[in-house]
Amino acid sequence: MPFLELQNLQKTYPDGTRAVRGIDLRVDKGEFIVLLGPSGCGKTTTLRMIAGLEDPTGGRITLDNQNVTHLPPSQRDVGFVFQFYALYPHMTVQKNIAFPLENIGTSPSEIEAAIDRVARALSIKTLLDQYPRQLSGGDQQRVSLARAMVRTPDIYLMDEPLGTLDAEHRLELRAFIRRQQLSLSITAIYVTHDQEEAMSLADRIVVMDGGKIRQIGSPSEIYTHPADLFVANFVGSPGMNLLSGQIVQNGDNLTFTRPDTDIHIPIRANIAPAQVVFGMRPEFIRPANRGIPGKVILSEYLGSHGYVHVDTPIGELVMRSTDRFATGEKIHLHMNETHIRLFDPDTETALV
Amino acid sequence: MRVKDGVLKYGFVGPALIFLIAFNIFPLFYNIYLSFTDAELSGGVTQLIGGRNYGVIFDDTRYGTALRTTGLFVVLAVATELILGFALALALQKPFWGKPAITTILLVPMMLSPAVMGLYWNFILNGHYGVVNQALSVFRLFQPQWLTDPDLKLFSILMIDIWMWTPFMMLIALAGLNAIPNHLYEAAAIDRASRWTVFRRITLPLCSPLLFLAILLRTTDALKQFDLVMAVTGPNDRATQTLSALLYQVMFRGYKIGLGSSYSIVILLIVIALATIFIRYIASIQAKQGRETA
Repeated sequence: MPFLELQNLQKTYPDGTRAVRGIDLRVDKGEFIVLLGPSGCGKTTTLRMIAGLEDPTGGRITLDNQNVTHLPPSQRDVGFVFQFYALYPHMTVQKNIAFPLENIGTSPSEIEAAIDRVARALSIKTLLDQYPRQLSGGDQQRVSLARAMVRTPDIYLMDEPLGTLDAEHRLELRAFIRRQQLSLSITAIYVTHDQEEAMSLADRIVVMDGGKIRQIGSPSEIYTHPADLFVANFVGSPGMNLLSGQIVQNGDNLTFTRPDTDIHIPIRANIAPAQVVFGMRPEFIRPANRGIPGKVILSEYLGSHGYVHVDTPIGELVMRSTDRFATGEKIHLHMNETHIRLFDPDTETALV
Repeated sequence: MRVKDGVLKYGFVGPALIFLIAFNIFPLFYNIYLSFTDAELSGGVTQLIGGRNYGVIFDDTRYGTALRTTGLFVVLAVATELILGFALALALQKPFWGKPAITTILLVPMMLSPAVMGLYWNFILNGHYGVVNQALSVFRLFQPQWLTDPDLKLFSILMIDIWMWTPFMMLIALAGLNAIPNHLYEAAAIDRASRWTVFRRITLPLCSPLLFLAILLRTTDALKQFDLVMAVTGPNDRATQTLSALLYQVMFRGYKIGLGSSYSIVILLIVIALATIFIRYIASIQAKQGRETA
């Protein structure tokens, strides 16, 4: 039995907006799941339904062998971290963190010990007597994390908790969240639109779009074998190079080509000639002495590496490179053929 | 240009300043002066008589009674209006069908003139032909003499005041409730707070600064209660004579301007003292919550 199971979960708002259109997900105990997708994809609504903050209009949620589909949050054992902290403005940091423990009747001495432990872990001990309004955004989110983590719920739910923080705090708190989750082996569902955050935190990533799941998989599966064109384009920065063209029989071999060009890229896959979308990540393209000819149209320098946009007879390609090129420079490109991905142009799903 | 700016500045502030001096500051100080004289409305020579008027206040049994009547009226009226108003606000907090219409209807009493309402209620509560007692007679129930029974008169005026001013409390409480962001209730639900805990530890403390402001406004207003008393029983009824009614009686029926002035100064001091205590209290709550003070 999975620890958390979503079956055909749906949410349609009274105004007719179909935010979530049938989601199936099975989460094992101790797993760290990241819901990743662009804004409006239904990831936050899904999370809020798991928390009980939103009532599903269809489907079923099972948590720890209990049907919790329509239970209020107070009857589930969840910790929730809000994007905008949601701290109680009239309570000190200490009181904010104590609140969830007081509600379940924890003794004052235990509350004090628990606050001390979590405040130490999040280095907010010196802030305990202050009010939320006196704190920076980063410190407010630490307090919010502390409030969620002061007790050990069945599951942590986090709604873009680091979205409003600056880069430095983001990395620090990201590491803290993962360490804490691992050390307590608590199941966690984390919502973000930041793919780097998703990659670094997740055991499994759930890519969502338009209220539906596009793909579920480990970060490397998602990255190397995107299930469809949306995932291929959304995951990775920049996304995968995607070219539409066709597979043709070229003597004994299959090749990918486009109209009006004599460039053929060998395809080793077992596939029938057809219209396809050809995909390749920028890091599997490199400059070479011969290969696909092209002209550099844009060179983005990022320090340790850069992205070079090259205009070629088969379309514009983005190449990741540590070398630098001048705009207008004529170069040749080599593609690593083992990393070719092919997609059906009609269904947009992966063929190989 | 700078000189002109200076002139312009006084040009803008001047009229307001003149108004303030003419209608607030001068009358206040003139009133203080009058309270130390034996001035009478009927004319005659006005003489300074020192603090003798203030001595009379404490000998006048009417003043003690009026003070007690006013105190009872203020406490009962404001407390009832607060509790009813807050309860109504809680009921109206969540949207439901017909809420805008109900809210509007509830606000009507507040928008009417107290003197006119006093006269209307005079008809409604009249012991012989009033609607209330006619309705009671249909059911063969006991018909209280709302406006003439000495034990009931003040209660009747209290009822009218509550009817008039509960909507005001409701409106302010509603503003306080609406200012509480929904995500705090969500956080409290996640933190497994019971409904009672949410009310006691989230709703009430976050509303309280506005509620105290409403209490302050209603208290200072109720301390001056005059129009309803005037319209329902007249200013010289022992059972309902509030401080303002007594003041009116002394000044405009007894023509004793000097004595009346000293009565009014004492009322003013009471209002100022109460207002100061309330404002300090509101400021201290807001400081505790880490908010900017009002």
